[in-house]
Amino acid sequence: MKLSDCYNFSDFRKLAKKKLPSPIFHYIDGAADDEITYRRNTSAFDDVDLVPNVLRGVENVDLSTTIFGKKLDLPFYLAPTALQRLFHYDGERAVGKAAQKFNTMFGVSALATVSVEEISSMIDTPKMFQFYFHKDRGLNDSCLERAKAAKFDVMALTVDTITGGNRERDLRTGFTSPPKLTLSSLFSFATKPMWGINYLTRGKFELPHLQDYVKEGTSTNTSIGNYFSTMLDQSMNWNDAEKLCSQWGGHFALKGVMSVEDAKRAVDIGCTGIMVSNHGGRQLDGSRSPFDQLAEIVDAVGDKLDVICEGGIHRGTHILKALSIGAKACSGGRLYLYALAAAGQAGVERALDQYRKELERDMKLMGCTKISDLNRDNLKFRNK
Amino acid sequence: MNLKDCHNFNDFRKLAKKKLPSPIFHYIDGGADDEITLKRNTSSFDKCDLIPNVLAGVNKPDLSTTIFGRKIDMPIFLSPTAMQRLYDPEGDKASARAAEKFGTMYGMSTMATTSIEEIANVSSGPKLFQLYIHKDKSLTDDLIERCKRANFDGLCLTVDTIVAGNRERDYKTGFTTPPKLTLKSLIEFGIKPKWVLNYFINRKFELANVKHITDKGTNITKSVIDYVNEQYDPQMNWNDAEYCIKKWNGPFALKGVMSVEDAKKAIDIGCTAIIISNHGGRQLDGSISPFDQLKNISDAVGDKLEIILDGGVRRGTHILKAIAAGAKACSFGKMFLFSLAAGGQAGVERALQNIHDELKRNMLLMGCKNLKELNQSKIIYRK
Repeated sequence: MKLSDCYNFSDFRKLAKKKLPSPIFHYIDGAADDEITYRRNTSAFDDVDLVPNVLRGVENVDLSTTIFGKKLDLPFYLAPTALQRLFHYDGERAVGKAAQKFNTMFGVSALATVSVEEISSMIDTPKMFQFYFHKDRGLNDSCLERAKAAKFDVMALTVDTITGGNRERDLRTGFTSPPKLTLSSLFSFATKPMWGINYLTRGKFELPHLQDYVKEGTSTNTSIGNYFSTMLDQSMNWNDAEKLCSQWGGHFALKGVMSVEDAKRAVDIGCTGIMVSNHGGRQLDGSRSPFDQLAEIVDAVGDKLDVICEGGIHRGTHILKALSIGAKACSGGRLYLYALAAAGQAGVERALDQYRKELERDMKLMGCTKISDLNRDNLKFRNK
Repeated sequence: MNLKDCHNFNDFRKLAKKKLPSPIFHYIDGGADDEITLKRNTSSFDKCDLIPNVLAGVNKPDLSTTIFGRKIDMPIFLSPTAMQRLYDPEGDKASARAAEKFGTMYGMSTMATTSIEEIANVSSGPKLFQLYIHKDKSLTDDLIERCKRANFDGLCLTVDTIVAGNRERDYKTGFTTPPKLTLKSLIEFGIKPKWVLNYFINRKFELANVKHITDKGTNITKSVIDYVNEQYDPQMNWNDAEYCIKKWNGPFALKGVMSVEDAKKAIDIGCTAIIISNHGGRQLDGSISPFDQLKNISDAVGDKLEIILDGGVRRGTHILKAIAAGAKACSFGKMFLFSLAAGGQAGVERALQNIHDELKRNMLLMGCKNLKELNQSKIIYRK
């Protein structure tokens, strides 16, 4: 199997599984507890049907949308995800360049393995910085200042990781960052020699946004769950978010809002967007899927800030369904991470190109030529 | 595989399966008929979504709740289950000690293999006694008196075993108590020599609470089904339940109530609690699952008595969903029995630690400071 055999999410996933040491694959692939929410994130789309219109003259389709004041050529973007250089040695460099090529937003995680400065010097398309509220206020200030200096367009504060999720696959594989070599993981790493060679020869693995402040930045092996539980400030509240919002002074979003009540408060503290997200099912298993909750949130605050539907997206039609309900855009992590692991920048580009083609095809089949043509009349909910 | 590899229900179950002779494993694991209700008990939780709140500034969530007049440190306790010494030589003692360590309630079955008095000696933690009404009424009076003397906190009367369920796995394995050695089961017991060794070198296996009254307690090899059908009184009615309440004169629950109508009657006869349960899917297959029925019952009687949800609970999030729907606490049987079989007291402690950690983590992720904040506004049922 190779890149040219990858036509959809499952194909990229399969190829990634072949290329990655198993603890790393399962870190991407896994979710919390029994992974009920992880599965629901995608299957929720299946409970809603698209209702197409015919004979509408749809030769030219415009997929562009505007979020956080930036026009994107695609109605979805690459959600910030941690540790990308574990998945491919180019990591954020590959993903950033692919995003630029398709003119969509690139989300950079606080736990990125390439610095905001380097990314900013590399691409001039829209960029989002994802921020964790650490106990160490110096680290928080430094993250904000550096992202501002690097001219990032959006700051997204993650609010659904107040403690680490119970990712049982990581408990079994012993996944840590940087990878720790235990006897069982050693075996898995040894069976993927190319990954090992690249990991050791393509530049030191580091977390440039944290390394001046925490030992976890470079050398100590820590699990992500453990990192969340020990390094992040569990007393984080609305006042803290409001202060960060004004300290940033630009487009500011909360990532991981699921209740209508919280969405309204996000408006009150000055947010210009929210990501309706459950962290890809990786935190609270049994919690609601973004798509199931989308309509209620759009109805409450959709005219006051940009609502992004994040999680579970495997297909162009999933994006069309979310946009029809009223999301301004969608985003996802796994939708490009498997492709990154499968083939670096070329992999991400292939994935993005396929989503673009799917969206174009599906818009035509729906009888729509621009995103604003999509609305709830396009949809039928099976259970309502 | 060993205890430290056990992170969830399935892990404990797998390890228990390795350690137990197959008839005994299947006695715990099985349900009635086609086991539809057994499966639904757990899957019913998946149709209900939790809605978290963010930025709530919750540091240390309070997991405590009060049932049967006792404060317990987390809203999950050990259901009364029969014959625990079949699963571990220490049996009920191991369970009771583990429960006390985590500040939660231990439930003792009439058909326990350790006596009321022995348990009172090893644990001062919250204790619930589960009562079956036998045809021999003096046995009921005797059990209630002994529970009083032994300072048990609550009494529950099981009302869903008027006749034994059709547990087909037990027919196939030939499960009886004490274990009967047929040719087939002999092979199965023979390949778990450690279990056999423990069974024979430890104290004699007996139904410690009823042995002085019924010979079925000790000598005669009986299937549980035969025992239930011969010894329990199928004429039991609301008057008998009321009789027990008066006799006990303390916190009292009916265990196995599933209809709103019966829940209301339970109030009328003076119950302080009900345990919504279908006996872990071991009695009437095709009957409604506790979680599917919880909201209906809670909306009708939740302000008048304590509601305990029993059955299908595997995860911290299951418990949070039940609390949000209106339960005061949950209880589980299979979950801790597998951990008991997997590792004795240490096994039960690990299971309780896991569930405690899950509850705490999930309360933080829900943004809830205490269980009172978990109400029906925090859940949405999907159709």
